Amino acid sequence: MPAFRRTVSGALLAIGVIAIAVWVLAPYAWLIVSSISTKIDLLSVPLRWIPPHPTLDNYRSLFDDGQSALSQGMSFFSRSLLNSIEITFSSMAACMFFGVFTAYAVARLSFPGRKASLLLLMSSYMMPPIAIVIPGYFILKHLGLLDTQVGLILVDVTFILPLVVWIMRGFFLSIPLELEEAARIDGSSRLGALLRIILPLSAPGLVSAAVFCFIASWNEYLYAFLYTSMQARTLPVLIGEFTTKVGTDYLRMAAAGVVASLPPVALALVFQRFLIRGLTEGAVKG
Amino acid sequence: MRLRSPGFLTIDEPRRLGITLVLPSMIIVFGFLLFPFCYSLVLSLLNYDLARPQDNGFVGLRNYGRLLQDRYFLNAVVQTAVFSSVSVVLEILLGVGIALVMNRDFPGRSLLRALIIIPWALPSIVNASMWSWILNANYGALNALLTQVGLLHAYKPWIAEPGWAMATLILANVWKETPFTVILVLAALQGVPKELREAAVVDGAGAVRRFFAITLPMIAQIVMICALLQMIWSLLHTFELVYVVTRGGPFNSTDIIPMRIYWQTFKGLRFGYGAAMAYLAALALLVPSLFYIRSAYRATVE
Amino acid sequence: MKNRLLVSLVFLLAGATLFAQTSLTVIFPKHEADLSGSFAARVKDFEAASKITVNLIQMGWDDVNNKLTAEMASGGSAYDVVEFDNGNVAAWLGAGWVEPLDSYMPKGFTNGMIPGLLDLFTGADGKLYGIVWNNDTRFFFYNADMLKRAGIAAPPRTWDELISQSKTLMSKGIAKYGMAGFWKAEWALVNDLHFYIYTYGGKIVDNRGTFLFNKDPATLAACQEMVKFLKEGVMDPASLTYDQEAVNNIFLKGDTAFLNQGIPGIMAYAQDPSRSKVVGQIKVGLVPGGRAGVSAALTLPEAYAIPKGSKNKAAAWKFIEYMTGKTVNKKLAQDIGILPIWTEQYTDKDLVKLYPYWADFSRQMGTARGLSVLTWYNNFVDVAITESQKMLSGALAPQAALNEMADLLKDYAGKP
Repeated sequence: MPAFRRTVSGALLAIGVIAIAVWVLAPYAWLIVSSISTKIDLLSVPLRWIPPHPTLDNYRSLFDDGQSALSQGMSFFSRSLLNSIEITFSSMAACMFFGVFTAYAVARLSFPGRKASLLLLMSSYMMPPIAIVIPGYFILKHLGLLDTQVGLILVDVTFILPLVVWIMRGFFLSIPLELEEAARIDGSSRLGALLRIILPLSAPGLVSAAVFCFIASWNEYLYAFLYTSMQARTLPVLIGEFTTKVGTDYLRMAAAGVVASLPPVALALVFQRFLIRGLTEGAVKG
Repeated sequence: MRLRSPGFLTIDEPRRLGITLVLPSMIIVFGFLLFPFCYSLVLSLLNYDLARPQDNGFVGLRNYGRLLQDRYFLNAVVQTAVFSSVSVVLEILLGVGIALVMNRDFPGRSLLRALIIIPWALPSIVNASMWSWILNANYGALNALLTQVGLLHAYKPWIAEPGWAMATLILANVWKETPFTVILVLAALQGVPKELREAAVVDGAGAVRRFFAITLPMIAQIVMICALLQMIWSLLHTFELVYVVTRGGPFNSTDIIPMRIYWQTFKGLRFGYGAAMAYLAALALLVPSLFYIRSAYRATVE
Repeated sequence: MKNRLLVSLVFLLAGATLFAQTSLTVIFPKHEADLSGSFAARVKDFEAASKITVNLIQMGWDDVNNKLTAEMASGGSAYDVVEFDNGNVAAWLGAGWVEPLDSYMPKGFTNGMIPGLLDLFTGADGKLYGIVWNNDTRFFFYNADMLKRAGIAAPPRTWDELISQSKTLMSKGIAKYGMAGFWKAEWALVNDLHFYIYTYGGKIVDNRGTFLFNKDPATLAACQEMVKFLKEGVMDPASLTYDQEAVNNIFLKGDTAFLNQGIPGIMAYAQDPSRSKVVGQIKVGLVPGGRAGVSAALTLPEAYAIPKGSKNKAAAWKFIEYMTGKTVNKKLAQDIGILPIWTEQYTDKDLVKLYPYWADFSRQMGTARGLSVLTWYNNFVDVAITESQKMLSGALAPQAALNEMADLLKDYAGKP
């Protein structure tokens, strides 16, 4: 009987895994197919799922757009890729640094304004960004930060940070208070306990929050498109420009989308390793 | 000279430490947001139409009054509510389900865990264009797939009918946003001690009972935060998807509040009316959210 | 000490060059045919010729316009030359964002320019506010091959003729539909509305802002014809979901026989086998009218303008003069096929050889009209999109839809 049950649950698991893989990957696979197709093949009925005339032209045109004269010796795409990487890593680092400490404070310390600050941080989300972008533009213009990486990093941090606080607070709360207290009895300061006990134990949360920061900043479009032009333009902004008055260059957009989705996935793979190691270490220590 | 550790590392008194740790974040966030919040509030009390400066001036709450009679805005409120609530329910159910499966051991787990973020990692503008092509009535992949497997006998203009247009937008939105839930819940599941679950298995508890008795309470906090964030996200932050795929059509059946604000401010140059719209939407969202946050807060602290 | 001297010397030199050289910031959208950076190359030429440096910002059309909303609302000082779309003329003049060009322009500069393009950028005060860089006029294209196979001798002259020809083509299995329309809920739908109204000789508003669209028989007839296209089955029923891109795709893959409002670049796209199955089959015709003998076209020109906040207005004008002048205009036409703004170039030998169909274009261009000139044009678009989609889907009768539009816009009645 247990053997039978195990087989059934194994089969169910396999079905579940396959269903998930198909659900997640099918549209993406179609995006990849689009990116190596010619336009007329994509328009054909009946549609052929394997492109009859595969081509890398769409990718080639990203990295060789003949605009390097205007873009410091690179194609616009490469320039934006670089901008995106720099902006994303900076805002991720800033968000994680400030977010973790703030989250610890609101999760563990009792101080006046604790609840209020948590609510205030959340209330920063209540205003639709589409209504914030224009007054925000005035600020950045006034500070001379338009079309600079610093300006966009600042803006990214303001809207990602509250989420990091909320996410990390959730993870900190799930760690038993006794562990921290034990460390404090051993003479550790509060921040010492945070760094030595709580953070290693919340490694999964840290990793997911970091991935969250990365993607939120990587994909941010609305602010970036208004606040950056030729110098600090990020990838989503550049990709958004594969449109003209009459339509979208979907094939190039597909190629760019595939390229743009790779860094976050690579990061997730790396973090996955780190995460598993962090967990086993934590378990050994615990 | 010895390097001194940063001052705040030596503070240990909870009141001072708490304020020291929270203050920088508050300054960063509201340093940028305070002006837009105040500016919009003032604008919302003005008739402030850039293209017709001769008519501008203080109008008190008249913008808000007009909004309550604005058919397009009221419709957008309804459509936004439908879009968001269905999306969030699906994103949470699907997300938790996927996370539970992914938490099991199977070959290729690490890879699938990394790949699962793909929809979320795709720039929203690419996601929107992709779905726009997939849903195309003449050459879309969805039509091709469904006719080739025999589920559909002729190509269908998916986004031509209000119901289908909303359903397909929700599909595209759920596809993109679910990984956010998966990743957070998966991380929370790592915190559920294996021994607890194994003990329950020995006790003969079924999978369903195990989930509700052991797993769910441990991840409830994160699931609640997920639901809140997804809700805010889809209520006010969805823009590119609708902008590219339907632009609110057919005849406003997928029109959402950010699209309304966009039309009024960016296109119509009616900054005052647009700001009132944003404030009304924010208030409508803030009140239920505060209740929700309070109950979430109580549940976890007390 | 030596170091400090060097540093100050460098600063001095840098300062000197800065003062000697004016620098312009220019923003306008990428042209859909400009794949190899022709505009950017001409800007480089300008820099070399004038010793003025240009910081060129080229982005998508929507992006540029959205960015300009934010920038102009905060003074417009960041740019010296900006994109000025014909749809924005009334609103921007109302807001007082752009500078009249008359005082910068040498006398007679505009002689020989297509008159319609001048009119569209002339304010009520008689002053000129923009010089067109993109003469974006739309034309009627048809698949001559399909018509020939169906035994149809000549392209249609009226919309009813187009319906009957479409039916012939469809019944013989030559075309899937007569045509497809870009009737998705976006800006371009209202372009199309204008277009059909113009082919019936109608008008949306008069210049005092009085609504004509809800009382004008020509407008009603045009709307009824749009509905008829769908009712008779000659218009792709999915048109309410198509943007211009989709409509072009469907025409170029050979599903439809007519493209009622195509960009000039269609002729080039049709010759490219990687995006077209109708190589060598496409011809330009005169736009059919509501009745025989009436034809009209829609033009959506984009101009260069100088924001009031610019600090380099004289240099900005030099840029405009250079970029829209006959030499550069012709060069851009040769490179990427943009339509010149100068009448004489439609008979220019080199260009005629390169683009023989321009003879047809210039015949049509005389009938071209722009969008309605209203300070609240975008609010009109917002309402017109929704109500005409209701009309096209059959939820509202044409007159009812037009009345609904008038009701929703009543605050603007009498305010041009």
